[in-house]
Amino acid sequence: MVDLMFLNRILRAPAGVAEQCRSDRDVAAIARTALVTLAVSATAFGAAVGSLRGGRQIAFAALKMPIGILGTLALAAPAFYVLAAIFGRPWALRPVLSLVLAAGARFSLVLLAMPPPLWLLIDFGASYDVIKVIATIAYGLAGLAGLEVLVRGLGDGPGKHMTIFLFVSVFLLIGGQNAWVLRPYLGEPGAKEVTLFTREREGGLVVQLLQATGVLRKVSPLRSEPPPSAPPPPSEAP
Amino acid sequence: MSLRDFLGLYALVGLACAIAVFRHAPARGAGALFSALVTIPLWPLWAPFALAPARARGATRPENAAILARVDKALADAVAAVAATPMSDVFTPRTAARIASEVARVAGRLADLSALAEKSGFDQEASLRRLEQLERAGASDRALATARLQHDSLARLAELRAADARALDELADLLEALRTQLVLARYEGSPADDASAIVSEVWARLEGLGAVLDPGSPATSGG
Repeated sequence: MVDLMFLNRILRAPAGVAEQCRSDRDVAAIARTALVTLAVSATAFGAAVGSLRGGRQIAFAALKMPIGILGTLALAAPAFYVLAAIFGRPWALRPVLSLVLAAGARFSLVLLAMPPPLWLLIDFGASYDVIKVIATIAYGLAGLAGLEVLVRGLGDGPGKHMTIFLFVSVFLLIGGQNAWVLRPYLGEPGAKEVTLFTREREGGLVVQLLQATGVLRKVSPLRSEPPPSAPPPPSEAP
Repeated sequence: MSLRDFLGLYALVGLACAIAVFRHAPARGAGALFSALVTIPLWPLWAPFALAPARARGATRPENAAILARVDKALADAVAAVAATPMSDVFTPRTAARIASEVARVAGRLADLSALAEKSGFDQEASLRRLEQLERAGASDRALATARLQHDSLARLAELRAADARALDELADLLEALRTQLVLARYEGSPADDASAIVSEVWARLEGLGAVLDPGSPATSGG
């Protein structure tokens, strides 16, 4: 089910794997191995992240991490196919998907290296904020490793940088929203109860970003007072 | 559209793809069921691979299509011949599916080699003409050596392609012999020792072809 030679090649010779994807050779084996690797690595990384809180949070994070990563790939991969076609690479669907999955496999192998140092840091008593930053950095490093496969896969020629830039933007948007919907992974600080999903209703990631930058006014969904422009109740009228 | 609507629609498409994947599978075993189940959540990533014709690339060339049709028929007949007999352990539907998959892979690579020969820069006759032209013009030894190297390499590529095509053809013959042995064993009620030996030889030949065509890949194990 898992082609260990492929995993070796994706780490040591990503250009060769990218070429194999483009020429549509044995891409089903690449897809199968990449999906298994992604699921296993994300589960391990999720468990490591969830171990900060411990208990049920380990299982919840181990369950949600692969859902988040594979869900993001599933939604973003077709965008890569379209973007590549728009910017001068009208390739068939399978080679493009296999390229995205090969990149995912490289991403997941780097991610698989992260649980031991994370566990060590947690064991040394690292705080919630430190682990949050370290996990984000680990994710970023893994993402850069995966990106190399896509860059090499696109080859030289016009439109390459625009394709990569737009795909990364789409991927981050979808990934961010997925991660937001599936949170918490580390466990909510101060919360006494461990829950599968957060119980707060704060809108999507984009709403949160707009509110944080001040573009959108922050409105508490639980607020029950009338809005400021509303007329006062009759009893309070002069 | 709410998140719930979106997930419902996503699952509905996934279910339709899963049914198609299961129906499309060469053998209806646990592998096909697993592939179909994986398709439900991951249909945008997995369905294009699971639904692709196993030999889409190999069948694009008429000579490969004929061989693959022979292999398909021989394997289907062989599986039917051993069904509900003690010989079904010798030749399972899974074995047939794996052989078909390997043959398709080899045929695909053969098609790649054939397509390569038709590209500009890989024309053996053109390289010969170029060599003769340089010889007539009294070109330098270095230029002649380069042209000769190019011609020799293309000639070797053509020989390799011809040898592989022959080997694939012989493999189809072997599978037809296997089918006949299994049918014979079924009606004679005899043990399938000969058929078992042929199955082993099929795997050995496939491994040989795989090693020639794809030195980087591990040899396929028999089963």
